[in-house]
Amino acid sequence: MTGPGEIERLYRSHGGLVLRRARAILGNEADAREAMQDVFAELVRAPRSLDGVRSVVGWLYRATTHRCLKVLRDRRSGARLLRRHAAGSRPALAVAEGELAVEARSLLATLPDEEAAALVYHHVDGMSHAEVAELLGCSPRKVGYLIERAHGVLLQEEEGPV
Amino acid sequence: MSDAFAFTRWPACTSALRLDRWLCGELGSEEDAALRAHLATCARCADAASTLGAARDEELPPLRALDVPARAVPRFVKPWRPALAAAGLAGALAAGLFLALRPGPAQAPGTALKGAGVGIGMWVQHGGDVRRVGEGEAIAVGDAVRFSVTTPVRAYVAVLSLDPAGHASVYFPVGPRAEAVGPAVDAPLPAGTRLDATVGEERVWALFCPAPIELEPVRARLERGGAAAALPEECGVTSWRFVKR
Repeated sequence: MTGPGEIERLYRSHGGLVLRRARAILGNEADAREAMQDVFAELVRAPRSLDGVRSVVGWLYRATTHRCLKVLRDRRSGARLLRRHAAGSRPALAVAEGELAVEARSLLATLPDEEAAALVYHHVDGMSHAEVAELLGCSPRKVGYLIERAHGVLLQEEEGPV
Repeated sequence: MSDAFAFTRWPACTSALRLDRWLCGELGSEEDAALRAHLATCARCADAASTLGAARDEELPPLRALDVPARAVPRFVKPWRPALAAAGLAGALAAGLFLALRPGPAQAPGTALKGAGVGIGMWVQHGGDVRRVGEGEAIAVGDAVRFSVTTPVRAYVAVLSLDPAGHASVYFPVGPRAEAVGPAVDAPLPAGTRLDATVGEERVWALFCPAPIELEPVRARLERGGAAAALPEECGVTSWRFVKR
């Protein structure tokens, strides 16, 4: 894929799935739309990114997740929310099925990229360890380890300093 | 499991990835048939597939970043003295000086060459045509535009704008900080943009900075108080304007 026309066609056919996932991860319409534009802007900047890619949908999942995790980190609200919840309140329910709870978003911003992505794929997208492994380029066993370790870190964060 | 994720559940037994791949025609015939058979018997997965299908059909805004083909952008032909200009900008960047903005003596159409050899040019794609435009020209809303810059030394570049409604935005780069460019002569920036429907005069500033400055504070200041209060003193600046109609 090289031309702007092809990228615009891809945007028309696949932009909706990028926007849906960005909404689920970010929980904010304006941020989700910005993230969608950024994902395709990256393709405009590096149009050969899709050369040799087996699944365009998988590539867009990865790019969207990466972009959204960056947005969550850039918000820099994660640490503040974390401190608030560490003070004693319990996490609220997610606003809709398949969407992240506000607390989950702030906690994700504190995790390493690979662990955060594994949690998103597993919880938000309902992927099996094998599917997550395919997107992350690692073994299903490592995915299990990443998710377990991430939950361990998050539990410690939720319980606050001992 | 962490409490924060306890209520985050994909509501079907088939993953969103698999359903999206199916909807986009990426599954092979065997996988396709197996999934169709499953969807016929699993209401949760059928509902999820329907939801994902509706998301794919959603009306999307215009794609903001559009590429004006680089081959359509000719080389800058204005004669200039790069060594002298490079020394001037390097000195200014090193000293953290705000560059005086004076038009060059023999500017090429569509290029504002100001200060110590920095410049900005503008290209417009209207339908299938790509053309360079001069400063102050009228451009149709919905056209794709792309900027090119000239800098005699490597600098961190950003292009910001203030539209007729007072809304400031960053045209380049896509990321949060100014990006390294050059030394370059009339180099097209990697991403363009499509003009929105706000008609009137839009002003544009290209920044040439000694460091990858954060752009959101600059954009916010530009929106609040205009260029005088917004543009970092340590950056070289050149301005541009065009009219949307």
